Formats: sequence, structure tokens, C-alpha cells
Amino acid sequence: MIGGRRRVAITGLGVVTPLGNTIATTWEALLAGRTGVAPITSFDASGFPVRIAAEVKKFDPRTAIEDRKLLKFANRYHTFALAAAEEAIRDAGIRPESHTAPRWGCAVGSGMMGVEFAKLVEVHQRFAENGSLSSERLGAAGVTAADPVAFCRSQANAGLSLLLRHFGIRGYATSVNTACASGGQALGTAMKLVRRGTADFVLAGGFDSMVNPVGLSAFCLLGALSPDNDTPQRASRPFDRTRNGFVLGEGAGFLVLEEWNAARRRGARIYAELAGDGNSLSSYRITDSHPSGDGPIQAIRQSLASAGARPDEVDYLNAHGTSTPMNDQSECVAVRAVFGRHADRIAVSSTKSLMGHLVSGAGAVEAAICALAIHHGIVPPNANLRELDPDCDLEFVRDQPLLRRVGVAMSNSFGFGGSNNCIVFQNPEDVRT
Amino acid sequence: MSKKVLVTGEGAICASGKDPAEIWDAARAGRSAIAPIQQWDSASWPSKLAGEIADFNPRTLVEDRKLHKLVRRTDLLGLYAAAKAIEGAGLVAYRDALDPTGTDLFNDRTAVYVGSGGNKYQDQYDFFPLLTDAAGDLGAFGRELTGTVNPMWLLRVLPNNVLCHIGIRYNFKGPNGCVTNHGVSGTLAIIETAAALRAGEADQAVAVGHDAPVEPENILHYHALGLLAADTIRPFDAGHSGSILGEGAGALILETESAAHARGAKVLGEFLGSGCVTEAEGLLSVRGDGDGLARAIAQALDDAGIGTAEVGMVVAHGNGTPISDASEASALRRIFGTTPPPVTSFKWAFGHLLAASGIIDTVLALNSLRHRLVPGIATLRDLAPACKHLAASAMPQPPRSDVALVLSRGFAGTDAALLLRASASAGDN
Repeated sequence: MIGGRRRVAITGLGVVTPLGNTIATTWEALLAGRTGVAPITSFDASGFPVRIAAEVKKFDPRTAIEDRKLLKFANRYHTFALAAAEEAIRDAGIRPESHTAPRWGCAVGSGMMGVEFAKLVEVHQRFAENGSLSSERLGAAGVTAADPVAFCRSQANAGLSLLLRHFGIRGYATSVNTACASGGQALGTAMKLVRRGTADFVLAGGFDSMVNPVGLSAFCLLGALSPDNDTPQRASRPFDRTRNGFVLGEGAGFLVLEEWNAARRRGARIYAELAGDGNSLSSYRITDSHPSGDGPIQAIRQSLASAGARPDEVDYLNAHGTSTPMNDQSECVAVRAVFGRHADRIAVSSTKSLMGHLVSGAGAVEAAICALAIHHGIVPPNANLRELDPDCDLEFVRDQPLLRRVGVAMSNSFGFGGSNNCIVFQNPEDVRT
Repeated sequence: MSKKVLVTGEGAICASGKDPAEIWDAARAGRSAIAPIQQWDSASWPSKLAGEIADFNPRTLVEDRKLHKLVRRTDLLGLYAAAKAIEGAGLVAYRDALDPTGTDLFNDRTAVYVGSGGNKYQDQYDFFPLLTDAAGDLGAFGRELTGTVNPMWLLRVLPNNVLCHIGIRYNFKGPNGCVTNHGVSGTLAIIETAAALRAGEADQAVAVGHDAPVEPENILHYHALGLLAADTIRPFDAGHSGSILGEGAGALILETESAAHARGAKVLGEFLGSGCVTEAEGLLSVRGDGDGLARAIAQALDDAGIGTAEVGMVVAHGNGTPISDASEASALRRIFGTTPPPVTSFKWAFGHLLAASGIIDTVLALNSLRHRLVPGIATLRDLAPACKHLAASAMPQPPRSDVALVLSRGFAGTDAALLLRASASAGDN
């Protein structure tokens, strides 16, 4: 790896996932191969073509966040974000203080669905019961129809705002949305903020929940979800020949990033170096990459260049691996194109096989998983892979976790709209400064 | 040493016009395009003013008719501004004359960063007929979904649609991002673009900001929060009483110096530096002392390596709300002391474009420097007491150098500052 650049240490991790509401419980479930997919319980999904999802379970934000007023301004996925970020900050053992706050940045990938379903139903009942909005009646109702708290919760940067306020972060702040690539792009943005000297610390992550009637509808309409309602635990099976769609998940992942030397000086535990970031556009179709892997190939190559890593140094790939027919195939083609024969020596798994697809949260949660894989020397499995798709010609970690020292790990996140993100992690033992 | 970043193309659309020159001319002439809302019958509405594009017509904005049903109003505006900038800069003509290897490299080395207004209330209204049919029964909602709602609904409302469709239309495949951070989204798109170019991740880039916040529920909420003015935006005026929302988009082409020279591009200006910070006090809070904005400006000056005396003009955020204006004036005083450069703001002319405001203001700042004329704030009569020291006027002023400072602020207490230099030669064109 090249010298001279400002390096970025990952010193804190936090998650809320369908597998568990902390790092420890999520990691334990991943290694045990326990699924987070089940019939939907948060609303009556009995009429929908798809009635399963990977929901966050038994989650009470008040156990992590004491500020009740703050929680009033948070929707479901904002509460995931606050709890995961609080875990990451506590894990890192460092918080913004008055003299350091301007050197803290925040970069998040936020869910896109601001307006909550209950609010939509309320507006429908009051002003649109015949199917279209009566602007005349809405205007006549005036301020009595306005709900400032709901308005605040619906803003695209509401989650960012809650995090900034809760932690007192006063430096660079950004909220990004490139659909399923959001979490990965937020991490990459955060890494570059430290690298270019804009920040010394960044709270970075992603959060989402589309497990609600409109979100579920959106993916049902596109035919993107696995319809295997009777076998939820088997529904997400990335790279399996019989895969038939992804499983919608929800949750949040956060990482604390610090300038490497400062983290070392304070004796922080460093899980990994966030070493590289690559981004590309597929510019092919709204939902797919080219079957040749064009798009993801450039993102993977850029991330290696950004890390100063050789392809043959990569030991683990946390695949995007959604379990949709096209995505998994083109991802495998892209990986093979970049790594050639070395691809046979990369352990590959899609943790979406157990926790479903966290959409804007996926890349951030999977970044935390890569950091844990390096830290523990354990690669989590790709569950449900029984009949390997011959077009998915990679070395998957099947059924059981793999005990293996990970020098360089990599995580892919590809989004609707064609944004591809790849981020690279390096084992801290291998960092020469 | 990081690379020099040049501006080689621009595009803009808003209530004042459909290209930068038209919009700038209207502002210089003191013409406001703020008018009663036309998209719905607003006669009985408590707030009924906005900066709408009067003759909004998808066909004149985006040629590809297939796209009209695949994207939203805000996306059409972003795609229009981007197309004007890309075509004006001659990027496609240059690329298409390269050999196949050169073409692939050019595409892979062309970045796209977008500031997007994100999800709209209206996006969800496609579910109203289904809610009516379901009559409160969620089971029926699920059963009748298919056939009632447009199967492409999600793809139509993606916050990153402009990014996606610039890619598909022009085959650009480089680094990219989509910022959904309210009023600073467009500015952050420029900042991330410049960072990618400086770091050598791309050779040329499109930066776009777009928004269409003039929709019934949104206007009502802004009104209820006391953010809207009843008559007009009066930035820094004693009579300022709030903002007015507008719709539109702005776009810039940014390139490294070597890329611009290699293709003989006409240079409009140079990106000098940027800053972005937050005040961390909540979604709607603004500190009275201008702390965030002052720190953002200081960062931008430091990044650009220039002093306050070199700043020739300021395009202020100037959104017309008393607290924002006063704190902005306070920040400018802290930075510039008793010798402030001429200050203007353009929101009085076409409204606050939220996610698009930072880019359209940047486009207009460069146009002002090129004309060596800082347009006045036409609605300004008497400076508010807290803004007395600003060198703001209803009349045009000469800039004191070829450098402009552009300020943007947004919800979540986020402040951003950009510094740009206009190209000396650009004024001759």
C-alpha cells in the first residue's frame, strides 16, 4: 500500500439489523447462520403478493437514546440510526467535545421514504378520499392541516439533523441517496473527508426502512422481491441457481472513522483501515448493470487504486449479492473480470442471505461486517446456497463461517439508478506508517 | 499539489428564464418572476406566491419522450439544465471525435454529482386511488395493488433519477453522488465534484442541482412554520418577513486544467475553494451569531488560499427570513469587518430553489463577474438594523475583484461557502 496519504482508522461500530440490535447479537447470528427473514409483523401484509421481510425485532430506541424530545422528531429508520450511531460512538470511546466538534464530520446514506404511511393515510382521509388531493380543501384547512413534527420527520436530511444535534457534530455534514449504493457511498465520502483533511473524525453510516405498505408495494410492483412466502428463511439465496428476488430488510449501520495517527496516539482499538473507495455509473438501465459487468468493474478497480492495493491482496468480498437473477450474475462477471484467477482465492459471501437487503443502510452495515471479519479473522457465510448458479463462478463461503485471516476485505453496493460503490478495508496489522 | 479545477459550462432554468443569460438579465433589470401559484388553484390559500416556471412543458425540456413518464417535474428541470451545460461545453462533440479507447476512457473519467430535493409529498399521491379503493382495509390495499399503481412507481420517484438519466443519456460512467441535504445539496454537489477532480479521480464532471418544492403540502408546511413571506422576498430589508419557494435547476461543467486545455475548452472560471459546516442545533434552528456561516467562509478562504481583500463580491443566501438574514449579516461582518465587498442575493427574483439554489447562485455569480456588475436586490428599500453594515443595494454595484463568494444554507443548520474566480477571457465572449 502507498504511503503519504492520511489514513482512516475504523474505531467504532454499531448496528441495528434484522439479526440483532447490536454488533454482538448481529455478528453472533451471522456466524450461527440464523435468518432474520420472517412473515411481516409490523403491518397487515396478508393481501400483498409478498408477505415476508427481514424486520428489526424487539427494538426500543429509548434503551439507547435518553432524549425523548429528540425521538419525537424521529421516524422508524431515524431511531435505528440514532441507536446504531450511539453504539458506534460508545464503542469508539470518543465523542465530539466543544474543541473537537468542528473537526467532526457526518456522512450518511438516508432512506428515501420521508412521509410515513400513517401520515399519507391521514391526508388521504381528510383531503383525498376520492383518490386525488383537493388542494382547495387543503388550503382552506390552512395551518390546522399542518403538522410541524411530521414535516420535520419527512425531510430528506432529517436523520442527518438528528445525528448532528444528538452528538454535537459541527463540521462537514452530508446526506446522500443513490438508492442501494447510499450506505457505501456515505462511507466512501467520509473516508475522503478525512483523507483530504476536511475532518479528523467522521460519524458515517446508513439507515433505511421500506418495510411499510408503500415501500413493500414499490418493490412488489417491480417484481424485485422473492415471492417465497412459505419458506422465508430460504427466500434470500444469493448466487443460488433458483434465486428469485431479494428480501426487503431494514436497519442501520454506523462507523466511527478517525485519522489514523491520532487514533493510534489515543490508543484506540482499530478494527481496520478504511483504505479505498471506488464509484462508477452503469449508465445502462435504471435497475441493472450490463451483463458484462461494465460499471461495477470500474468501481472495483477504482477502489483498489484508491487503496493502493493489488487485486491479489484481496481475501474477502462482502458481495452486493441481492439474490436477484441479473444482479448476482453481473456482479460475478465483474469480480472475475477484475481478479482473474485470483478470484478463486477470494472468500465471497452475501450477508443479505440472512439479513435481507437494508437498501440505503446495506452498504454501511456490510462495512461494519467487513471490519469485524478483519478484526476476528472470521468470514461470515453466504446462507441458502444449495445449487450454485454456474454463471456465478466464485468461491462462496457456504453454510459455515470460514476461519481465515483477512488482510484486505472489500464490500460492493450497487444501486437502482446505476450507482456502483466498492469500498476496501485493510487489516490494521498490515498498515505501515 | 492538487489540480486546478476550471468551470467550462453552465446551464440554468427557473421562473426568470431558461438560460443563465436570460436569468441574469432579468435580475439585473430588477424583474421579479415571483407570482401567484398556477399549479393548483391557490386563490384561497394562506400563502399563494412562488417562483414557478410559467410555461412548464416536458417536451421543450427533455427531448426523449419516453423519459417524461419515468421521471418527475424536478428531474426534468435537472436534466434540462445538465443538457444545456454539457452541450454548451462541447463535451459530447469532443468525446465523439475520440477513438474507441479514448471514448471509453473519457466516459469512465467523467463524473456526475447531483444535489437533489429528494422525495416529494406528491410522489406518494399515486397511492391515493388505491387507498380509496381499499377503504381502510390493508388486505385489500395489498390485493388491489397490481393494476392500480404504476408498476414503475419506485423508479419514477428515485431521488437519484437525474444522476441515473444523465448517465444513461450521455454514457458517462465516472465517480458520482447524489446529495439530499436541503438548501446546501447543490453546493455540496459542487464541493464533491471539485474534490474528485482535485484528487485525480476524474478529468471532467457535471454538477447539477434541481428542486421543485412548489407543491401544496410543502407550501402549507412552510407557511405554518412561518417561513414564507406574504408579498415578496426582501433579503436584508427592514421589511423582510420570510422566503418564497421557487423551482428550477442549475448545472456546471467542471474540469481539471489539463483536461480543459487538452480539448481547447472555453474557460468560464475557476473553482478556488469551499467550506461546509453545521451548527448542530436542530433541523430548523439557526444560530443568531452566524457561527456556522462564518466558519464555512473561513474554511473556503483557507482552502482557496486567499484573503478577504481578494473577494470581489458576495452572493449571499439572503432567503429573506429575519433570523437567517441577520445571522448571515453577522457572519459577513465577522469575516469582512468594516470593508465588506458588494453583497447581492438572487432569491428575490425567482424564489428559493432549495437543493438547486447553490448551483444557480454560482452560475449567476460567474455571470456577474463576467459583466463586472453585481446586480442589485430590487426589493431592498431600507437595510434591517442588523444588516446595516452590508454593502447591499437595490442598485447594481461593480465587483471589487474577479472573485465571488457564494453562500448556501439549509435545514439541519448546514452552511456552505464557495469561492470562484471568473475567467478574464470569458468576458470577451
